[in-house]
This record gives sequence, structure tokens and C-alpha cells, in this order.
Amino acid sequence: MSPAKKVATKGSTKKVLAKKAAAKKSAAPAPARSVAKRESAAKPASRAGARAAARTRPGGAPKHQFAMVLDLNKCLGCQTCTIACKTQWTRGPGMEPMWWNIVSTIPGRGTPRDAFELGGGYRDGKPVPGELPGKREWGEAWEFDYEDVFGSKYGSSYLKPREQDGGAPEWGPNWDEDMGGGEYPHSHFFYLPLLCMNCSEPACMEACPRDTIYRRDEDGIILIDEDRCHGYRFCAEACPYKRIYFNEQRVVAQKCISCYPRLEEGAAPACVRQCPGRLRHVGYVDDPDSAIFKLVHKWKVALPLRPDFEVLPNVYYIPPTLPTAFDENGAFDEEASRMPTEQLEQLFGPGVNKAFATIEKERAKAHAGRRSELMDILIARSWNDLLGPFTVDPGELERPPQR
Amino acid sequence: MAVATESLLVARGARAGLNALLAPDAAEWEKAPELVALLVPTPLEDQPSAYVQAAWARRHRGDVREVKVRSLIGKDGLAVRLVWAAANPQRRIDDWNVYADGCAVLFPADGKSAEISTMGSARKAVEGWFWRAGTELPFQVTATGLGTVDRAGEHGVRARAQWDEGCWQVVLGRALDAGGVRLAAGGRVPVGFAVWCGAAKERAGLKSYTPAWCELRLGETGASKR
Repeated sequence: MSPAKKVATKGSTKKVLAKKAAAKKSAAPAPARSVAKRESAAKPASRAGARAAARTRPGGAPKHQFAMVLDLNKCLGCQTCTIACKTQWTRGPGMEPMWWNIVSTIPGRGTPRDAFELGGGYRDGKPVPGELPGKREWGEAWEFDYEDVFGSKYGSSYLKPREQDGGAPEWGPNWDEDMGGGEYPHSHFFYLPLLCMNCSEPACMEACPRDTIYRRDEDGIILIDEDRCHGYRFCAEACPYKRIYFNEQRVVAQKCISCYPRLEEGAAPACVRQCPGRLRHVGYVDDPDSAIFKLVHKWKVALPLRPDFEVLPNVYYIPPTLPTAFDENGAFDEEASRMPTEQLEQLFGPGVNKAFATIEKERAKAHAGRRSELMDILIARSWNDLLGPFTVDPGELERPPQR
Repeated sequence: MAVATESLLVARGARAGLNALLAPDAAEWEKAPELVALLVPTPLEDQPSAYVQAAWARRHRGDVREVKVRSLIGKDGLAVRLVWAAANPQRRIDDWNVYADGCAVLFPADGKSAEISTMGSARKAVEGWFWRAGTELPFQVTATGLGTVDRAGEHGVRARAQWDEGCWQVVLGRALDAGGVRLAAGGRVPVGFAVWCGAAKERAGLKSYTPAWCELRLGETGASKR
């Protein structure tokens, strides 16, 4: 049983804390409780129902939509989010190579290699065939020559990774971190954290012939029912962000679960709370008082990744305002970005320039000493302001028994 | 009702027990009548996923066009042996983009009738014995339509397999009195077959199958033979 399953079935956490957390937010939708009941209620009753839930409505949308906004201007690329997720969820058998959350470097080929070039999603509303690469394209759980480095007098002076068969790895998570793009002096890069996008048009969900994947009615989180999953992996092919992993030992698909057992207790996801850069906002995108809503809908500075995939992701990004380019005299050219605008538009859609203009304008306002709601939200002087309705300290929650 | 010989499978009585008959190369298999069952690819338009339909519209599939089937009824159970050509066998799932070969024997759950092309219906279920390369135990499954396959938690289906000279030989078997579709010496039951080619990335409803039921006539058990 995976850690995700352990928590999902425990039913022993301190409900009172969740109630307190819920009581704090009057306008915001309260974190839901009663995992098992809610899961069964959220499962579509039929295949036709699942298809309708995925592709149509009004009337079929979840009651609320959990969402995340990541401010890429703050991301350090430290992978603390990645390790927080790994520690929490993917330590079980067959999960060794899994990184439900991973920070990639842009420009870069991603995790797995060429992640965004492998198909999936939709084009003009029709499913796009996708490819599922082998595990070496994602990066296996490497072994290291610890004994040689630490155990022998004249051994290797540094740790070398090895694939499971002893071969040298040729790809792995954030493999091309040191590459970046552009010619000196216009070298540039930024970090891009990736996780399940909880799409409103989830290609994974439609791809599964068994209705194994479902969207929770109360918060729109997409989950895989591992008890129903037969490991066919159509979902992993269909996800255009390639955020679904395959557990070879258990023959099931697994992915980020948005830390829903924590959300249900009023605690933010591990990747959010552990982020030293304070770049992740969480909340309900349909709550007009939430920072998420304001960033996405009011200020329109939080943008979906690769909107051309047509899956309507519910993870949004504040695009990186990279350093300006240099002119021929070596002075800053305030009108030009080091990273070609077309590349940013390809990643974040046509709204990217307008978002930059808004951010610049509000930043200037703040520099001038005037109040800017947008800057206040992005700076997030109070940590809890990032967490929306999920401010409960997970350290105060009762841990499920270890099995 | 007369049954065309090309869809008739006779389970010959054998003295050996089920465990011995599970060996694909057991001598008894040589004496059993053989049915060459013709297979066709499952209709793509029936796949219960728009993604699968779109993704497989131009992909190759359904290569396995026949399976040679024999059946024996031993003193304590029924065994069915399937043999088919697999030049590039996928013996196990050893990578994330690898799909194992497989085969299945299908019955109407009531032993009488059900729709084979749709894997049963809400009113008429089907029951299957499903073997996948690389797994120790086969699955016993039931279905009430496409995409509804459920695996039984505990069941009496057993399997043994070997790949030799370009062919899989898989024996699936079950004690007659184990739970599931009623199998009785001297009885008749509709039966169908399916094969998954892992090399072609076939899985789920993407497979080669018999589009109509064959008939399995069970002889007397080996134990009751004089």
C-alpha cells in the first residue's frame, strides 16, 4: 500500500483542527473532511458520467476548484518542494524513481526528456496521441559509489551515479539544469516547478478506459483510484505535462495527489509549506477573496502553462521577469528581454506581455511608495497569506500509524 | 444445435490431475483435439476512451490472428492450453513503456449466454481467466461491459506458461468445483479467447479476440473414466 493510500484510509486525524481552520475563513470554501465518504461521492457513477464531468458543463464543474499559483520570479531551484513531496508520498515500493513534484530548468528538455514534446492533451478539442518514455528518460533511482568514496583510501574522490544495471545515467530529473539558453551576454534561464495541474479538462481522466481517474466534486482535485487501476498507462501518455508516473512493481499509475489528506485537515501541501522562496500560493480559484482568484482573474498575472495543450490547468505561474538584454554598448536595454518573448509566449500564452506590463506598472507604484494590492499579494509578507484556507500546522496533526 | 467444427473445442478426459496438466508440454496435450480459433482485432470504435480511439487510429495492432487451443478435463479440474506465435515476446513489464504479452479464456458468467464483443452487459456478465506474462498468478475477472473488468480477490484459477521456438504456450485451469462459471463433466459452455501482443503495446481492450463464442464440450473427468 502506498503512503498516499495509507493516509487516504486512516481517518484518525484531529478533526477539530480542521474545523478551526475552516471556521477562520468565512467567504472561502472550507477544507472538506471525511475522505472515504467524499471519494465515493465524487466518483462518477458511469463512464458516460465521467466523460461528461471531464469535458462538458456548466452544471458539472466541481463545487470549488483547488488551485496553485507559483511566482517564478522567486523560485530558487532548490528542490526543497521536490524533497518535501518525496519524503511525504513516494517512499513506497516501486516509487523510487518518482518525483511527483519536480523543478525543471527553462530553457531545457525537462523531466522526462523532451517532456512537452511527447504529445497528449488536445488540439481543437480532439485528443492528441502521446508517448510514454521509458524510465531512463525520466531518470531511474540511481545508486552511488559510496563505498568507493568513503570506504577506500585511494577510491573515487566524488560520488558517481549509476543506473540500476550499473550503467552511467544519461538523463534524470532536472538533468539539464546547468545548460540554460542564449548567447553571452544574453545567457538566461529560470526554474519551473511542475506537478499535477488538476486540469479542468483532464486528458488523463478521459484517456482511462476504466474510469479509474476521477475529479473530486468538492475541490476539483484529480485522483487515481489505485484499486481500480490496471496499469494500462493511457493516462500517462495523455498527460501533456507528463506528470503521471508508473509503478512497475504494483502495475498502477501514480501521481501528485495535491496532498489532499493534508488539505482535508486544513494544512497546505508539503511543497507549499516547505518552499523557502515562498513562491507558492494555494486556495480556491473560485473564491473572489482569495489571492489565487486575484492573481488569476483580477490582475491576470498568473497564467496557465502551455495553454495550447487545451487542458485548462489549475496550476498557474507568474511568468519570470528576466533581466533585460544588453545593447551594443553593453548597457541595459530596458526594452528587450534576454529570453525571446516568443519562448515565453509559447510557455505561458499570449497574455504574458500584458502580465509583464501589469507587474511593471504595479511595481513602479510600490517603488513610488504607493499601495499596490498586487505587490502585497506577491510579496506575501505574512507567510500564512500564501496558504489561503490551509493554515493549519501539519506538525500539530496526528500522524497516521506507520505500516 | 449443430456447432461448426471450426468453433468446437472438446475437453478430453485425462487421468492426470490439474497440477500436472498445467504443464504446457505434458504428454496428455498431444492427445487432445485442437481448435484453431481465428482472432480479429477488437473494433477501435468500441473502445471506451476517445483518447484510445484517437491514439490508435494509426497504430498497428491485432497482429495475432489465430490461437491453437486444446482442453483437458483431469481428475480434479479443467485445463485449457493456448498456443500462439510471438516472435518478439514481452515476458514481463520491465519498463514504463513496456507491455507484457497476455491471453484470456472467456465464458458467459451464467454458462449460457452473454455478449462477447462488449465483454458482457449490465444484465449478462462474462467471466474470464486472464494470464499476463511475468505474473505468478493469473487473474479471474468478471465484466459487465467494456471497461468494467473487475478482478476477483480470491479465486482458483491457475496458470503456467512457457515460450519456446517463437510461440507462447499457456495453460489456464481451474478445479471444477471452484467458484465461478459452472463447469461440469459432460456439460457444454460457450467459450472465447483473446491474446494481447505486448510488442504492439496492446493492453486493456486493445487485443485480438474471437468475435463469436466457440463451444467447449467437457468430456468425462479422468477420475470417472473406467
